[in-house]
Amino acid sequence: MSKEVVRAMDQVVDIADLQVSAAPGVVLVTYSLGSCIGVSIWDPEVRVGGMLHYMLPDSSLSPAKAETNPAMFADTGIPNLFRTAFKLGAVKKRMIVKIAGGSQLLDDKGTFNIGKRNYIMLRKIFWKNGVLIDAEDVGGSVSRTMRLDVRSGLVTLRNRGREVEL
Amino acid sequence: MNSVEDIISQVSSLPLLPDTALKLMNVMNDPQSTIDNIVDSVKYDQAITGEVLRICNSAYFGVSRKVTSLNDAMLCLGTVKVLQLVMAVHTNSMLSREQVGYGLEPGVLWKHSVAVALASSLAAQRLKIPDANLAFTAGLLHDIGKVILNEHVAKEFAEIVRRVTDDHISFGEAESQVLGYSHEEVGGMIAEKWRLPEPIIRCIRYHHDPGSLDPPDTLVDAVYLANCVCLLLGVGLGEDGLFYRADQSLMERHQLHEHDLELIGAQMMTDLQRVAELFADGTSASLAHEPAHR
Repeated sequence: MSKEVVRAMDQVVDIADLQVSAAPGVVLVTYSLGSCIGVSIWDPEVRVGGMLHYMLPDSSLSPAKAETNPAMFADTGIPNLFRTAFKLGAVKKRMIVKIAGGSQLLDDKGTFNIGKRNYIMLRKIFWKNGVLIDAEDVGGSVSRTMRLDVRSGLVTLRNRGREVEL
Repeated sequence: MNSVEDIISQVSSLPLLPDTALKLMNVMNDPQSTIDNIVDSVKYDQAITGEVLRICNSAYFGVSRKVTSLNDAMLCLGTVKVLQLVMAVHTNSMLSREQVGYGLEPGVLWKHSVAVALASSLAAQRLKIPDANLAFTAGLLHDIGKVILNEHVAKEFAEIVRRVTDDHISFGEAESQVLGYSHEEVGGMIAEKWRLPEPIIRCIRYHHDPGSLDPPDTLVDAVYLANCVCLLLGVGLGEDGLFYRADQSLMERHQLHEHDLELIGAQMMTDLQRVAELFADGTSASLAHEPAHR
């Protein structure tokens, strides 16, 4: 059903975590994106890829936690993801950016809208920094798994046992 | 046999909760309990005693001298913390198996349960529940019904998902329609069979539907909120995803804002990472990483 087979070069990006790699053959993967957002970036020229799985929109909630773990929040995690990729030679204007997640509970009134707030914060940060989103799959109530193949730049999304290209 | 009869017979043949766990829960539930009562309830269980001492001497607690007895452990670290850890260890064997129907790999349901237990304690503090100890245990056991319902969900998964998608109902409501019971109803049946304290039975039974209780039950509200936060943040999120209902009235009743949920979530994640370290080197289980074969 949802069985996910082991893949040799999977490098797991945990919740509130980011990973960047230039190693061909490495696949960055993050599991169970609910209201969290997975950000995948890839520079086709130098073949550097990065992935962030952030939990919450705004580090002002707890500056101390943001200090220890910047990947917990959008406003500290996103800049960190890009900076880490720049160190490996990636360049912003070449970057292909894909995002997934931001799910919600069944909620007519938008009470528990962490997912939506996560998405709005990301759009704001991207807009300020002139970053365009190449593809996205956000919202709904599904759980998503996101993969980025560092060699090819292929990003796939999996939910309910189906894996599709993003 | 249809699924309803099958589920009932499985509940009745489920082994009882180990004696020690039950005794522990009762002493935790009793404000009159002394350290001696608590030690008495666990000291004959060698496995637990060993586990408590191992945990107490781990880097997590940073106790400078060696903790060598249960009394010592309770005095040094506080009874509540020790008991909570004991309960977490105890439920590991029950909750750690793979839950195919819910798309949960081995260990993931337990990780979710520990996360909800931690978040329930935080939510209980936020809701000013005087006895927050129960919240941890209730959180830990809230999804126990999935252990039995799992194989039935696996068989009827396509139909359950069809109803969730087409009829816009929650996953639990679809379980109930297709199988006769939702996982929270089955959980309630198990909790009754185990003779758990009444407040914990209510939390398990109503953890997706606190609004159906009149008058409202603040402990149930705490476990509900904790579960929502953990699901939203993807801790142990399965194929049922976020297909559960959000309860606006609960937020209003307790004058809660987004901010409160986010704070609980951020603190839960920090606590979970610390607890994960605690179990990382142990024989009991690992919370540290998602299973390698996912």
